Amino acid sequence: MTISVLLVDDEEPFVQTLAKRLTLRRFDVHTATRAEKAFATLRDHNIDVVVLDVRMPDLDGIEATREIKASYPLIEVVLLTGHANMESSLEGMKIGAFDYLLKPVNIDELVYKIEDAHRKKELQEEKIRRLAEKADEDGPDE
Amino acid sequence: MISRGLLWLRQLAARMTGRAEDPPDPEAAREIFEMRYHALRLLLAANTRALESMAAMERAAADGAPFGMPFVRSHCTAVGVSVFKMVRNLDILAPERYTQLFDRLEDIRRQIEEALAAHPLPTDAPLILPMAGLGKGHLDVAGPKMANLGEVFNVVGAAVPDGFVITATAYEDLIAANDLQPEIDRLLLAHQTERLDELFALSSDLQNLILSAEVPEHIAEAIDDAAARIAQPSAGSTYALRSSALGEDSAGASFAGQYQSILNLRRSHLVPSYLQVVASKYTPQAMHYRLQRGLRDEDVAMSVGCLEMVDARSGGVVYTGNPGDSEDCNIYISSTWGSPKAIVDGRFASDLLVVQRTEPHAILKNEVGDKATQFVLHHREGIQRADVPPHLRLRQSISNEEAQKIAELALRLEDHFGTVVDVEWAVNTDGEVLVLQCRPLAQVSAMARRPLPAGTPPPTVAGGVNVSPGAASGPVHWVRRDSDALLVPDGAVLVVEEPLPRWAALLGRVVAVVAEQGGVAGHLATVARELRVPAILGAGPLDALTNEMEVTIDASRRAVFPGRIEALLVPPGEEGAIIDTPVRATLRHALRHIAPLNLLDPDGIDFKPANCQTLHDITRFCHEQAVREIFTFGSDTAFPEYASKQLHHNVPMQWWILDLGGGLRQKVTGKYVRLEDIACKPMLALWDGMVAVPWDGPPSATGRGLASVLFEATANPALSSPFRKPYANRNYFIISEQFVNLQSRFGFHFTNVEALAGPRPEENYLSFSFKGGAADLERKAARARFIGDLLAELSFDTEVTEDVVTARRTILDHHDVERSLRVVGYLLMHTRQLDMIMADRAAVAHYGAKMRADLAQFN
Repeated sequence: MTISVLLVDDEEPFVQTLAKRLTLRRFDVHTATRAEKAFATLRDHNIDVVVLDVRMPDLDGIEATREIKASYPLIEVVLLTGHANMESSLEGMKIGAFDYLLKPVNIDELVYKIEDAHRKKELQEEKIRRLAEKADEDGPDE
Repeated sequence: MISRGLLWLRQLAARMTGRAEDPPDPEAAREIFEMRYHALRLLLAANTRALESMAAMERAAADGAPFGMPFVRSHCTAVGVSVFKMVRNLDILAPERYTQLFDRLEDIRRQIEEALAAHPLPTDAPLILPMAGLGKGHLDVAGPKMANLGEVFNVVGAAVPDGFVITATAYEDLIAANDLQPEIDRLLLAHQTERLDELFALSSDLQNLILSAEVPEHIAEAIDDAAARIAQPSAGSTYALRSSALGEDSAGASFAGQYQSILNLRRSHLVPSYLQVVASKYTPQAMHYRLQRGLRDEDVAMSVGCLEMVDARSGGVVYTGNPGDSEDCNIYISSTWGSPKAIVDGRFASDLLVVQRTEPHAILKNEVGDKATQFVLHHREGIQRADVPPHLRLRQSISNEEAQKIAELALRLEDHFGTVVDVEWAVNTDGEVLVLQCRPLAQVSAMARRPLPAGTPPPTVAGGVNVSPGAASGPVHWVRRDSDALLVPDGAVLVVEEPLPRWAALLGRVVAVVAEQGGVAGHLATVARELRVPAILGAGPLDALTNEMEVTIDASRRAVFPGRIEALLVPPGEEGAIIDTPVRATLRHALRHIAPLNLLDPDGIDFKPANCQTLHDITRFCHEQAVREIFTFGSDTAFPEYASKQLHHNVPMQWWILDLGGGLRQKVTGKYVRLEDIACKPMLALWDGMVAVPWDGPPSATGRGLASVLFEATANPALSSPFRKPYANRNYFIISEQFVNLQSRFGFHFTNVEALAGPRPEENYLSFSFKGGAADLERKAARARFIGDLLAELSFDTEVTEDVVTARRTILDHHDVERSLRVVGYLLMHTRQLDMIMADRAAVAHYGAKMRADLAQFN
């Protein structure tokens, strides 16, 4: 099953290079360099994992993570940053980011994180599906 | 379908065992197990990452290699995030039970960030400080260069040009008003400043960033007002801007020639030129220098001195000692016509006068150079090169009386500052001597010459000035332009025509410097001495040295020999201790909250979240609890398919197996699991090692053979159990397809082996710990060291404390993990009785040799 990834970063060349490399690793890659496009992509596609730059001109990565987790609780967010700051990294983790990686990004490491994040989402989805089925089965008795 | 009645019974049973939440169907059980296994896997991967970052930081703190604050900050961030992930995944395995760890992590994070914080500037310092009243009390806003000049004027009473300081407060305002710091930090983090091409590109990005900033109105006005105040009403005064960066004085750093000075400026051009001097914080040589000297970028606020321009008849530098020989305390004066710039740039011939320290300050030596070029003020603005009139070229540029006056002045400064000094001076057209700069002189001791071995060929180059003593060998690399600089290989001998200050950016990678021109007083010479790179300057034409030619330079002999002459080189280890630079000190402060391990005994009563004092403690606690939670959950489960089972190998053994997923070839529903059922490769590798070589060590206390050893493990759990928790009272393997965790007790020996051998080499690891024994502590400790040595030889990172050995290997291909597991399995079996013979040296040697021979088979 193909994992679908949304890359959000205002640096166009960075996004393009990363998208190419992830496509080679057989991910279904979407990109956005602006907040608006990012949220539109989340609405229109079935995204599994968002890889998000923490600091963009029109988007605060921490706020964006909060919004994504509120609207799409199952989607996992991996934060990327060029700023090594413990406080903001832990802040990002607390509001529910799956992981927090420093640029320059090691592609293998990013791939692992995306796979792990996707696996977590998959497990959650299975659980929800089963609970839903169970609710259907149990329905008449309640 | 399970009948309703049965379901109800199960639910009841679950409630009674305190696990009412357990959804009672196999599908749900599978999901729960998978989720828990995933959480454990993420926790283990985060553990590996955290330990690796900690190890990298500890290595950096102990090694001599330079590193910068981005290294420290990114590792601290990586450890913090990894530890958070461990706590979060432990919270999935044991919901709500250890949430206190989140608070501990937050407290420790605050302590680490305090250790990393830059020194705050005094809050209410003015933007401008005038020369009158300036002194060492202003070091932290005026920078050492201007604070010292203030002392020279206000305390020593020597003549200096009038002027003022644009303080560090102005710098902070400038950076803040343009919101530059986040972008600067981002660029610094994104580049490997150890690489020259990246360093040059980064330098240009950072300087452009600052040059594109706006100087805030209030700063620009303050500069202009201050300049107007010192201007002579009649003359068209001009100014010199000189960097006076904070942090220049730390660790005895000279910062010679790292930043820009701009000379002979009109008042209207001061503000844009100020920005240029500030931008020179990021010249390649300054960045390289900070890295080499371990100075923190964030501590280097650029304050800038603005001085009235001196129209120098003659200028130069005076040292109150020989920089290349701390025993020689005569006064060394370098002098030339016009501005001292010709000397500090290191490019042009000058005069060297050596004056006796004691009265009557006799002139001991005067070498008059052929001074063809000088720097003079341009009539409108700036400074220009000019030919020295023919009748002055070979004339001494200062009189002997002036030399003695300069020597006396320098000695007064030495007396005031309490250290040998390096003073830049100028004699103006009225014959008055002015001090332009005064800083401590970094002297190195002359190195004893090593005898030349017989048959050494004659030197290829002889002569010049020994500006930085010592000897080194490497291939010649000529640098004539910046593009040559990018190609300098590590370990080369740098050969240049002019020893320009910007070549200081290469000093971290070359082993020695030879230059055709220049002398002892140039900036490059000063930096070479500080970084202990042997250097000969002013050696004359160097055409005999061609690229890639292997040479040995012996600066003390002022000679370059063909080939590599080992006998002249300083053997490694004689270079001296590692200097505790500001960056290294910061790292060590941060490490105090990261690396020490206080939670040593998982069964001690103090093994709890509240006692986690460092990030390492939290990782230790999370790891231990996670494994326990996994095991307890597996032992208590109502689903036979997921419960732990007894290992059956010919007979039932005192070993339990808990499969987290994929560790067995097929579903096993009975009570026993057979060795043939195991699919977990790392467990099989460990088992192979345990049974590969028959035991022929000292007879076990019970006199039984290997098979009994495997039984004996739990023969008498009450006897000496180091555990109080019931879960630990058996020997078990927790396995999955790629993971094994072995906990066991062989008699008095406690062992833990854990390994991940999957497709991601970066996450794979093998960890091993071993403690205990039946002998006295001394023999147990000797055995621990014996095992530690064996493992260290096999490339494990090993630590031995009393009778505890811990060892770890990381970043391994899964085949390597399996190979190492065989070794560990072998050691488990073959070292267990050795504590008994540890007092017998011959026996230790015998078993050591036998084990090394056995182990050779595994590799």
